[in-house]
Amino acid sequence: MGENTIVALGTPPGESAIAVVRISGDDAVGIADGMMAGAKSWESHQFYKRIIRDHNGEVVDDVLAVVMREPNSYTGEDIVEISCHGSMNIVSAIIEESMWLGAELAPPGEFTKRAFLNGKIDLAQAEAVADLISSETKLQRSVALEHLRGGLSKKVRKIEEKLLQQLSLVEVSIDFSTEDIEMFSISELVETSVWIRKKLEGLIASKKAGAKLRNGIRITLTGPRNAGKSSIYNTLLGEERAIVSHIPGTTRDILRERIHIGGFTYYLEDTAGIAEAESEIEAIGISAGIEAAEAADMVVFVIDGSVEPEEKVYKLAGKLKGKRHLIAINKMDLGLKIDKKEVEERLGADSVIEISALTSDGFDELKKWIYTNTVTAEMGKISRERIAVNSRQAMALHRALEALNKMEKDISVGQPAEILSIELREAAAACGEITGRSVEEDLLGHIFSRFCIGK
Amino acid sequence: MDNTNYAIKEYDIVVVGGGHAGCEAALVASRMGFSTLVATLTINDIAGMPCNPAIGGLAKGQLVREIDALGGEMGKAIDETGIQFKMLNGSKGPAVWSPRAQADKKAYHERMLKALKEQEGLDIIEAEVTGIIVEDGWIKGVETNGEEKIKGKRVILALGTFPNGLMHIGEKKIPGGRRGEPTARGLSDQLNRMGFERRRLKTGTPPRLKRDTIDFSKCEPQFGDTNPSPFSFQTTKIDREQILCYVTYTNKEIHELITNNIDRAPLYSGQISGIGPRYCPSIEDKVVRFSGKDRHQIFLEPEGLESDEIYVNGLATSLPVDIQEEMVALIPGLEDATILKYGYAIEYDFFPPYQINSSLESKRVKGLYFAGQVNGTSGYEEAAAQGIMAGINASLGLRGDPSFVLKRNQAYIGVLIDDLVTKEIDEPYRMFTSRAEYRLLLRQDNADERLLKYSVRYGLSKKEQWEKAIKRRKRVIKACLRLSEEKLSKDLCNKVLKEIAGRQVEEGKKAWELLARPEIELGILEKYLPNGHLKLNEREKRSLEIRAKYNGYIKRQRKTAERFVKMDMIKIPQDFSYMNIGSLSIEAREKMEKFKPETLGQASRMAGVRAADLSILMVLLEKGKKTAVNR
Repeated sequence: MGENTIVALGTPPGESAIAVVRISGDDAVGIADGMMAGAKSWESHQFYKRIIRDHNGEVVDDVLAVVMREPNSYTGEDIVEISCHGSMNIVSAIIEESMWLGAELAPPGEFTKRAFLNGKIDLAQAEAVADLISSETKLQRSVALEHLRGGLSKKVRKIEEKLLQQLSLVEVSIDFSTEDIEMFSISELVETSVWIRKKLEGLIASKKAGAKLRNGIRITLTGPRNAGKSSIYNTLLGEERAIVSHIPGTTRDILRERIHIGGFTYYLEDTAGIAEAESEIEAIGISAGIEAAEAADMVVFVIDGSVEPEEKVYKLAGKLKGKRHLIAINKMDLGLKIDKKEVEERLGADSVIEISALTSDGFDELKKWIYTNTVTAEMGKISRERIAVNSRQAMALHRALEALNKMEKDISVGQPAEILSIELREAAAACGEITGRSVEEDLLGHIFSRFCIGK
Repeated sequence: MDNTNYAIKEYDIVVVGGGHAGCEAALVASRMGFSTLVATLTINDIAGMPCNPAIGGLAKGQLVREIDALGGEMGKAIDETGIQFKMLNGSKGPAVWSPRAQADKKAYHERMLKALKEQEGLDIIEAEVTGIIVEDGWIKGVETNGEEKIKGKRVILALGTFPNGLMHIGEKKIPGGRRGEPTARGLSDQLNRMGFERRRLKTGTPPRLKRDTIDFSKCEPQFGDTNPSPFSFQTTKIDREQILCYVTYTNKEIHELITNNIDRAPLYSGQISGIGPRYCPSIEDKVVRFSGKDRHQIFLEPEGLESDEIYVNGLATSLPVDIQEEMVALIPGLEDATILKYGYAIEYDFFPPYQINSSLESKRVKGLYFAGQVNGTSGYEEAAAQGIMAGINASLGLRGDPSFVLKRNQAYIGVLIDDLVTKEIDEPYRMFTSRAEYRLLLRQDNADERLLKYSVRYGLSKKEQWEKAIKRRKRVIKACLRLSEEKLSKDLCNKVLKEIAGRQVEEGKKAWELLARPEIELGILEKYLPNGHLKLNEREKRSLEIRAKYNGYIKRQRKTAERFVKMDMIKIPQDFSYMNIGSLSIEAREKMEKFKPETLGQASRMAGVRAADLSILMVLLEKGKKTAVNR
């Protein structure tokens, strides 16, 4: 239908092994190219292994992607499906990146609606489509309500109120210029704009910390093979999730689970031990593990303390410089053959602890260390005030911010009121996406309550 | 009453009411070739101005220009009878300029009456229409108080404030549509019995003073423009002498007087139940609601060149006559003024416009149209705009042609009617430029470029007018191209900038780039163009300047408009039943069942209808289409 391009998570939300992000519309392939360029161009219905990078060039995830060209897709439009690792962190980063590249977050039931309108679903299902849209909307609204109780809506409303105030001043100067009332002052407008921009920037910045709060702080266990990473993983989880054995290289896939420390959610990853791979499958596992460690918020590097350390262990650990990390000397219960002091000196770090996955010795210290090194002051603040924006909200706030930037520029070159009004309306409309209010409807009411208008 | 014609009792179109809506409706209907009758209570009140003696104003001026482009009469009539012309917002950008003129009320009435009388195929009758005749859901004509039946294939109701009009002066209540005129009761009651919902609105007027009892030396004079801009695209020049208006102010003493007697104001004593406009408050309303304000502006406007009446704009009131006397005597300049007519408030019935569709035709009775204040609007211009649209659509209906609906990005008229059929009317509806989301596109200067093509198609404007507009546009575009290539050297640029005390530049610039800057006027730039002056007339130059200055913004509004227009193309059948669709939100169901949107676009503009509801509608509409095909 030549509609805008939409993006959404295609699998149920929450942690899972794999999640699928779906993009549909005319620009879907272009957006795919934008975030995961590859040497080959996309053949329809072929899988491609690609690395997604955000617009700052940072790696988001390595994924499997498939392009399905219209009309041979679910919606009947060009579709890109991206199978990524099932962390909400990664999913929201991919969705966000698609939005940077021009996609819009799909409204409830939009994929199915398009499928229907493009004749991909038969008539009998139309009612079901309507119900789906309706139920998804209700779900979303209850989520939105959740936010209302928090501080975000209140803060955005305050911004909205200021915008409305300025907008009504600008509009009064146009629609009621013959009245005997105060006219808007450019300096006050600029002052307000600067104030609002600061607030907006603060809210936008809360997105990153907020995402960490909601989706968990990413902790990756890494280190040489057979150091007991999976045992530590299980102990932290309090259950046998990872298969443990004495056979080096048991863990090949990355395992992910949520744990809670000090009221915060962590997202714990167990990876394959780093070594020369003995099989191709293990090799993939190892490289995935290294990438996971790179993307993590913090790395716990596990060393087997019951044996003399090999030189390459130090070499591996040395690579973690610049990354927030902790070195855990495991297997304390077997008697340690590694001196903590020596490790500290060799690696120039004081972040070394001794633990035992078998007896849980040292785990309190491990948790405490993880907590104090990952929970930032900002996160603490957000968790207290309960305001943190998600990607969609951040995008709206960003639009408001851009509009105000443009307006200030317009002011500096002396643009008239009717032009300034365009940007103010844009900013207010963007805020309205969060609060659900329409400034247009409020505007005249605001003007009449504030100004004595009419001869 | 030689001009009335009782011999013919059968017309194509019967227009009830001879106000601004009725006049425009009747004129276009007969110009489109249909025999038309105007039924008015008093011929003396054809195109009367019971409120302020002025046409145009902010956003209203744009409406008049649009009416003119559609082949209406209002613009020409005011050009010939205006006594003071002003381009409002002249100090702001051209997108929000609005023409306004003080009118000579009597001359305006005579001018419009002449147009009606001279119009071929148009008759006028002085009678009260007491009922409509309906058969099988179709309008068949009207009944008058003379117990007569007049057949009409289409009927346009342009009743103004007459249905159940009730005037308030202090504690006194007088039934009537205007001062000194009877009310029309029967028709409103009949419509109500037929199932039309009616509600009450209120509006007010100020006292009129005797001109030679005012001391104007104590007031500030207000001048018109030295170069008056005409309203009509066909008027070349206005060279009549212009009169002065005056400004004076209320003061604390008056405010005190009002506060002390507020219980005698019908608005506050509970005597008035109708809702008044917030943008046009009475003086008692202003004093109560804005008690912090020390003074309010009062404009003294002559009602005509010969008239000895002065309209006291800003002093609308329904306070009792003794308070009005005291109040006026406290105003500087009015100490000895004689009140010729007291101010009053008037309550009247209107028929909430969810009951009409965007061609202004009633949903309940086919062939019956509503225009003007009966739809809950306020203002001569708003009324005239609906009148001309109702006249065109009634005529198109007779021809069997599709109706004429303007979109929000095409005209203020489009915004006006779209608002009427999609929004709840809680107060008399007046146009504001801020109601138009595509304000930069809907300018008074380009109304003809936007609308002439339609009036030419309907035979209401001459083809040459449109061709002239096209040629003008071509010349402007050519000039745009020239300026975007013509480069001014650094020296020339700096000469231009020096004239406006702007910051000097280091290198030369394209002329277009300079003109795009808000502070550089074409008049100045033109002097320094390397290839010499532009061969354009004044109007074309202004158009060029607007294109340069608004360029990016106009494009942006066009783009947004395109997205929304798509939604307006998706039609919804009028028999679509919303109440059984469980997936729609309850609020949306109720709203849409009441308003019966004609398009998805209209539905999208209704308060309470969410994006998800629109998605669901879209799906169900498609389903309906497919089912129809399968049958």
